[in-house]
Amino acid sequence: MKEAREEKFSSDLILDHYENVLKEIWETVSALIGEAILALVFNLAIRKIGEKYSFLNSLKVSEEGPTLAEVKKGSRNLPPAEIHRGFQGLINQLSHLFSAITEGVITKELLPKVLPKVREAERMILKK
Amino acid sequence: MEFITFKDLNRLRSIINAISTSVEVKGIIDSAGTNLPSLFDFSVFGVLVKEGSTLYLFQEESCSPAFTQEVVKNMLKVFSTLGEKTIGAEQVALQVEKRRWKTKPRAMDPEANVKSHLTLPLVVEGEIMGCISINSDQPNTYNVPKLQFFSVFGYQMAASLKHIQRFSSVKREAIYDTLTNLFNRRHFEEKLSVETQMAFEGESNLSIIMVDIDHFKKVNDTFGHAGGDKVLREIASLLKSSVRKHDTVARYGGEEFVLLLPGAPLEPTNTVAERIRRSVENTPFDIGETQVRITISLGISNFPVHQTKSKEELVKMADLALYEAKRGGRNRVCIFTK
Repeated sequence: MKEAREEKFSSDLILDHYENVLKEIWETVSALIGEAILALVFNLAIRKIGEKYSFLNSLKVSEEGPTLAEVKKGSRNLPPAEIHRGFQGLINQLSHLFSAITEGVITKELLPKVLPKVREAERMILKK
Repeated sequence: MEFITFKDLNRLRSIINAISTSVEVKGIIDSAGTNLPSLFDFSVFGVLVKEGSTLYLFQEESCSPAFTQEVVKNMLKVFSTLGEKTIGAEQVALQVEKRRWKTKPRAMDPEANVKSHLTLPLVVEGEIMGCISINSDQPNTYNVPKLQFFSVFGYQMAASLKHIQRFSSVKREAIYDTLTNLFNRRHFEEKLSVETQMAFEGESNLSIIMVDIDHFKKVNDTFGHAGGDKVLREIASLLKSSVRKHDTVARYGGEEFVLLLPGAPLEPTNTVAERIRRSVENTPFDIGETQVRITISLGISNFPVHQTKSKEELVKMADLALYEAKRGGRNRVCIFTK
């Protein structure tokens, strides 16, 4: 019982953590290429990674930015490591698309901000 | 990091102003190709326009074919990835324009390949309309400010292309008959005004052929409106292919069509009309499982043979001749006689 509660707590933490990471990606990259292109790239990355991590299919992205409300609702019972792997995959997919359109210009700006946070998520899971 | 200068901002403003005042796709692209070198360093600037699948390239005149191919390949790859639909080089019409950039005094190495590029999708309301790309033979040419400028430029370009697309579709609806794809009556009236004025002033030939499908009501009653529509479309296409490019073929209303032939004397017009009549008579029309034979009646008027200075009267003469053809037993051509 206690274990299940802890798992749920960790999943919430990881989801909150990645919500902040996605917001940071949105703020950084929308300043470079604008919201319309970014929303398109985000949705493309979600469709691709959603084939493997289906909980990400409920991640909604419009020109206002990403909304994780549905993802949070639907994935609280998933293991935190699974959530982490899904978001890590999404970030990799985004980096791949950013590189395809602007080579290193976006990733050079973005990765120093985002990679430490992905590692932080890894540490949160290992701590548990 | 390189900073944005007021000079750069002003250049960007002028480029945006130039592209947003263009009223056709080529105008937008030309103006972009002409003005962009003042803001970006590149060897090739490319614009892929999805509608019509055309890829426009503005490139340094010393740019090698291999470099061009690399740009094309990369643009199509990015477009296919973002649009989730693979598009091959053989599917696009390539329009290359070579320029000598004042900002690029050196000739390109013939062995050079693409070392830096920015390739952005042209997005409006979630729809990808194409993509734009700047490509350099030098490494690390583009940085954050350049990307920001290029994306602002891309947004304006996408918006301008969308405006033109909407404008074209409104214009199309205004002049074409949606069923037959022929000009509509309103456009015919406009063309008639222009052509009659030219003919009356220059004393040059102008012929009108009015066409009506015989017993069309029977077709509709027997095969329904879908069958009738099919016949209308097929006859429309037959009429269009029977005249010259600069002639006007329009749907006048219902099962009636009108042809306006500038510069055509009476006799050749009669020959054309007779050819059309025979062609319809000899064409079996497939409606569902059934093959139907259809005939048409035609009436002709001509200026200056039929002396008038009124466009309405010239049309009326062709209409009266058509009436004569109907009265004479249908499936025939009649020339107006007083």
